[in-house]
Amino acid sequence: MKGILDNLFDFGRTRDDTPGQALHFRIWELFIGFQAARYAWVWGWETLRITDVVLPLGIARYVDIGHLIGGPLPLVNAGLLTLLVALGFLRLVPRWPYVAAMALLHLQYATRFCLGEIPHSSNLVGMGLLSLAVGGACFRDAAAQRRFVWGSVWFFTGLGYASAGVCKLAATGPGWIDGRHLWLWMAEKASDTISKTGGFEPNLLQQLAADHWIAATAILGIGLGTELIGVLLWWRRTRPWATAALMAMHFGIGWTMNIFFTVFMAELVIIGFAWGGWLDRLRAARLPEAFLRLRGAI
Amino acid sequence: MWSKARAVRVLALSLAAYVLLVAANEGEFWPASIYPMFSVAGRPWTRALVRDVATVPDSARWRVTDLRGLPGRPVVLPEIGIDPIDFANFLSKTRTWDEDRVTGLRSLFTEDLLRTRQLMVYKVRGRLAAGDSVVVEATPFLLLTGDETARNPELPPEAYARDR
Repeated sequence: MKGILDNLFDFGRTRDDTPGQALHFRIWELFIGFQAARYAWVWGWETLRITDVVLPLGIARYVDIGHLIGGPLPLVNAGLLTLLVALGFLRLVPRWPYVAAMALLHLQYATRFCLGEIPHSSNLVGMGLLSLAVGGACFRDAAAQRRFVWGSVWFFTGLGYASAGVCKLAATGPGWIDGRHLWLWMAEKASDTISKTGGFEPNLLQQLAADHWIAATAILGIGLGTELIGVLLWWRRTRPWATAALMAMHFGIGWTMNIFFTVFMAELVIIGFAWGGWLDRLRAARLPEAFLRLRGAI
Repeated sequence: MWSKARAVRVLALSLAAYVLLVAANEGEFWPASIYPMFSVAGRPWTRALVRDVATVPDSARWRVTDLRGLPGRPVVLPEIGIDPIDFANFLSKTRTWDEDRVTGLRSLFTEDLLRTRQLMVYKVRGRLAAGDSVVVEATPFLLLTGDETARNPELPPEAYARDR
């Protein structure tokens, strides 16, 4: 356990972040802030078309969100959230903007997805924003915030992937990897694709999986194994390799089932590799460093 | 200052909150989740499709078909501002097709679209069958025209009352 925590929070390190590491963090923070605001606006506009709550999710199970439907409030919520992430990123208000932004984004999600679908494509951004909120609220020092937030993001991302794998084993068992299951999901996604684009033509991988049970089984087996090794994100040495494997898995999901988690992939690229050291080597962090110091982010 | 004990304590509390929230809310309390998607393998599914059947003869409109034999022209839902997954959920999770639900469904389409096209809403069901095959059936469910909504005369009334 101590080893995991050392790897997550880098307890052994005595020096402060290099300019490259600080810039790496700020790039990720900007990514999370931008994506959170984007989701808030997209969900806000989509909520305007909703007339009925079919399946209450999250906070909507405890409070009535009906008053958020059928009016402009989702757009007001999106505007407020955008302001809050801007205040948080620019350090204009200390500590709490991300906490408020997190609460508003949760509400926006619960309002938008009340029709029965429970999408997971935004969860990684949500966990990033939550980590920023917790880090900002619990640590005053900018360097301490960064180290906590990185550790939290790696921990919950690894946990999420492993949890997805464990759920499959718990709900179906090792037989989950039976290739016929992939055939059934591919048919489901083919129907979705027709609804989305008007037609469906299988690609080479889909054709291979459809024609050969063993290929379909291998695809599911590799996918399940990759999810289970998601916990390797917790260790510094294995993090880049686990990230590369997870990205390959997402490509596989995209090519077989037409489910593209673009934002997940982008975030994995940012959090899974030691960009800070590379930025230092490129001396690319020098100019932004001056800005970061000015803003009190270093 | 960076306090190790504080970092560990805050992470432990975050994890405890995460576990409690997903445990109390059937695995989902965004952004916390146990990520149960695709956990239950081999389960039959239901989705939805829309076709413009204006040029399809009446006798062929209500036929159950597979995805390759769909009559008429495809209606690309995102092009008319409808999220296909929302639409599929609306269709599959509605158990009783009372007037409110039918009106709700019609309100997803613009009046212009309803006036100029004849929109057949299909329920598409998939399941594993004997012989290692996947069976996909697209069943015509509702026909939306100018100001009328027709039900499939070949389906039993239960299909619209406590549909599942």
